[in-house]
Amino acid sequence: MSVLRPFKASDMFKFNNINLDVWTETYGLSFYLNYLANWPDLCYVQAAPSGRLMGYILGNAEGSNNDWHGHVTALTVAPEYRRLALARKMTNLLEFMSDEIYRAFFVDLFVRCTNHVAIEMYEGMGYSVWRRIREYYGSLGVGHRGRDEEDAFDMRKPLSRDPGRRSVRANGRDMIVDQNNV
Amino acid sequence: MERQIRPIYEALDTGSNKSAIVACNKLLKKHPKNELIKTLKALALVRSQKVEESLVLCDEVLAAKPTNDAVLTAMMHVLRGLGRHNDMVTMFEEAYKQQPTNEDLAAQTFFANVRVLNWKAAQQIATRMHKQFQEDRYIYWSVISAILQANDSMTAPNMRSLLYQLAHRLVTSSPTPSYVNADRFHLHLSILRELKLFDEARTLLESDIGKSICSASLACNELRRDIWRLQGLLEDEGTKAELRITEQNDRNWLEFLSVLDATFSSITSAQDPDQSMKSEASLRLAKTEELFTKLAAEDGRKDRSALLALLELEKRARLHGISNDPNRMVDLMKQYFEEIGDKACCFEDLKPYLALEATDSEKWMSFLQSLTPSFTNTNDLQRLINCHKLLRQNLSLDDLTMSAESSRATLYTQQYLEGLKLGASLPMTELQPADDLAILAGNVFVNLWKISSDEKYLYNAVALLEFALTKSKQSFQTRLMLIRIYRLLGAPSMALEHYRIMQIKQVQHDTLSHFILSRSSTFSLAASGDLTFSTECLEASQIYVSNTQDTGDYIVRAFTGEKYSKIPEFIIFEDRLDNSLQRDIIKIEHLRMRLTHEAISSDIIDMELIELKFIFDRLHHDNRDFEIIADYQPRNSQKFSDQTQLFGKSEGSGWLCTFLKVYIRAFQQGSDLDDTVEEKLLIGDRPKQTSPQNKLILKDRLRERKDEELAELTPDELAFANYANSLADWLEPYHDHARPPPGVVLAEAAKLAELKTGHPLKGVEIPPKNPNGNTNGSTKKDEEPPAVTEAPATVVRYFDEMKIRFEEVKSASSPSLALHVATLMQEAFLLFVVETLRFKMPSVVKVNKLGTLVQQFKPIRANAVAVLREVSSSLIKRSEQDATADQRKHFVDGCSPITALNIDHDFVLGVAKKLTDSRKKVTEGVGKGLARVCTSYN
Repeated sequence: MSVLRPFKASDMFKFNNINLDVWTETYGLSFYLNYLANWPDLCYVQAAPSGRLMGYILGNAEGSNNDWHGHVTALTVAPEYRRLALARKMTNLLEFMSDEIYRAFFVDLFVRCTNHVAIEMYEGMGYSVWRRIREYYGSLGVGHRGRDEEDAFDMRKPLSRDPGRRSVRANGRDMIVDQNNV
Repeated sequence: MERQIRPIYEALDTGSNKSAIVACNKLLKKHPKNELIKTLKALALVRSQKVEESLVLCDEVLAAKPTNDAVLTAMMHVLRGLGRHNDMVTMFEEAYKQQPTNEDLAAQTFFANVRVLNWKAAQQIATRMHKQFQEDRYIYWSVISAILQANDSMTAPNMRSLLYQLAHRLVTSSPTPSYVNADRFHLHLSILRELKLFDEARTLLESDIGKSICSASLACNELRRDIWRLQGLLEDEGTKAELRITEQNDRNWLEFLSVLDATFSSITSAQDPDQSMKSEASLRLAKTEELFTKLAAEDGRKDRSALLALLELEKRARLHGISNDPNRMVDLMKQYFEEIGDKACCFEDLKPYLALEATDSEKWMSFLQSLTPSFTNTNDLQRLINCHKLLRQNLSLDDLTMSAESSRATLYTQQYLEGLKLGASLPMTELQPADDLAILAGNVFVNLWKISSDEKYLYNAVALLEFALTKSKQSFQTRLMLIRIYRLLGAPSMALEHYRIMQIKQVQHDTLSHFILSRSSTFSLAASGDLTFSTECLEASQIYVSNTQDTGDYIVRAFTGEKYSKIPEFIIFEDRLDNSLQRDIIKIEHLRMRLTHEAISSDIIDMELIELKFIFDRLHHDNRDFEIIADYQPRNSQKFSDQTQLFGKSEGSGWLCTFLKVYIRAFQQGSDLDDTVEEKLLIGDRPKQTSPQNKLILKDRLRERKDEELAELTPDELAFANYANSLADWLEPYHDHARPPPGVVLAEAAKLAELKTGHPLKGVEIPPKNPNGNTNGSTKKDEEPPAVTEAPATVVRYFDEMKIRFEEVKSASSPSLALHVATLMQEAFLLFVVETLRFKMPSVVKVNKLGTLVQQFKPIRANAVAVLREVSSSLIKRSEQDATADQRKHFVDGCSPITALNIDHDFVLGVAKKLTDSRKKVTEGVGKGLARVCTSYN
């Protein structure tokens, strides 16, 4: 039970309950405006009937040739609205748009290697690890869980233009790349 | 040449403005007429804050009407840096005129107009561009420009529909149909909606391509839904929505709302529904109920939409008097609680349905009370938390006795401690599932304080919430509550500590900085040299600079990428930030701190005056987020956010307006800049006036006093405003008499500018010197000075009366109110300094024959200083007692309700120490600052 609608610039005045969460970064105005000005159809919010924001997704389309794909840049849900499958609904729409409108081959996203809950959720949604990116999340430093804390998995899900499932590989977790090559 | 210029660009890119200037000077010796070098030098100068020198070069380049791409690009940065957007328009227009086939120049001219929101010109340029370059998108640029002109608040209503008609004509003139892309289609639909051309809209929307666009584009579908609704096609929309829900498994709440609207459409569409309409609605009600019930059974706990839709359905059925089961509402609520009660959103979801009638309410409450608390897993814990929140929401005022609330505080705290066990193994980055119980207890303690005025309840809230943070570091809700309570308790440095941990940044500065900066001059130690809060004000204000610099670029980007649905939205966003209420509240707080710290001079007065006058013309938007703070107080009592407002008053536009008037009046009197002088000396563009054209002239607007504005002031602020008013009324005629004439002021400014830049000031003609060759303002006046009147009683008595007020509040346990009174007295004294600065110069007094007036200043000033010194020593004395073992013991003793529940005594003692240290710091700092101010201006 939530309203799924486009992310509007003025939502930046109302996303505090989502962004004060430790894992959600608040970027400069340019970051949001850039996504909204270029890919407004890949940026949505979920709002409660009261108008209160529950979560949002920001995505873009990028890459060339066979690498042309939709990308989930930010996906976040306020703590009090978790476990309601909101992330899944927003991702579904982004996949649909990447497939139908952008004619992309796949959708991908990055996730911290230690974030098992999220990885499991994405696997349930049809994503699988394509490669591991070294030191992608440099900001926190190597935590007590070692390099897993800093490395990211690049997870991909094939769309209808990739019937041969070329964006899936079994040994993705072992394909390690430097973050400069992403 | 290019080889020689490259190092200048490199220097500019790396921020070495000095070496860029040096390089430019070298090259200019060889090529004194080169426009590009001049422009780059102007840019380096602007970036090193040498505005006057930059202006000279800038004007030279503009006069040459450049067309060179590199020059234009660099000039764009120079003019933006100087805030001269109107000159940018002229510059590009001139260049475009010289090269009418240059598409890039045409686009730049268009964007320059966009930047200054000059939609009429933009529309004409876009039309011309389409003719010249034959690109479809220029038609759409023209269309949206016409729409934006229509939407401008300055556009007359009849003009508005004409402009929409123009937009419609333009859209239909496009050689390709609008549906080639979703954003053009969206634009087209928005015109049809405005002009109510519903048939045309339906033809478009019901075409295959129209349907396909709406199925993918949320934005277009939103518009489509709106058009259907405006046409009254509620039933049709309901059928569509039902199909989406059942066949495509869409669970967007908007679809459920469409089904709900359709269910009652026969009643809502009629003015006075008759029986047949009602029975038709009843039939539909039964059908919809069946649909939702079936969906609810299918979805189970996976999706709560259908369950909630059932509640909404019953609520509306009751509203229309066609509900047929008196038990149904509460039954559905129970069902909802049973299904969804273990999710955090349950409370929020049920909130709109809690206003029940007496018997229902009883049933509902007894249902909740019958639930047995369980701590076996986090689901049970969440259920318990929801149960408490829901119960508390419906408590009546009779239920809120001291003893009942006290036992609730105990219960919540106990259960919180019990619930902590469930999260014992969570990493520190996770929230504790029991957090909300501590927050509930915090709400109750604050309520107890409100009922009893006994501060010990705030101590309990602080100690418990601090404890909760040790278990759940990321709980921003807990921190926000603490920030509010620490300010009430007069411990601003503790509030600031918590605020900083939250890492508020970017746009959050606009929405959240009110938590720490609201009336922060009360706690500022700027007078004694500690600029913490003053710096915080400046940092929070950065976001407004980046809005001015960046947002416009994305408006342009949306044009080039043809994302038309975003353009009006970006413009509104830019405006809301630019004219943010919080922005100017921060500005006033910063000014109040600045005056305590910097020596008051005519420079400060002049600069602040110009800025404040600009602000005064704004129509403000309130973007502050007050909803963010958790509120679990009962429905009928005051909200937590209101309960914890410092001094019980939230400042809004009335408060801002009052302080603006006070300072504008004082600075106007103290300044030599009258309107004509200001006009000549102003460098950037005048900001667009967003406030509706006021019929009164500024002078009268400044004297206006409106009750609704004054109602936002605390009693002490009101006394200050009254004092400021009387002071200004009293001194105005003497300032007007003694102020040097504009010609003299301008001549002085020109002389200074020439000394600084080596060039005369543009557009200023220096009047011939008068016979005695004297231009420094002390020209002998022929006219007699206005008769000197006695100082008004409000001014004379202000400090003594406030001293009495200070004595009343100085010993209160929290120093906040004493600091409020003391800092306002200090502010009143500084305002007196501003107002009398002009008459410090003996020559001014002599020439204007105002000796008897100045005589009157002396006793007022002497008395003010004496009183302030007393207040200062009283605060310093207090600070010595603020952080003693006795005070800490008092705090810890007060916390017996929670220490009795095994919250560690030493932990509470630690909190007491921090709190009392913070109090000591602020009372001592403000006290010393007051003494310093007295010494500076005695």
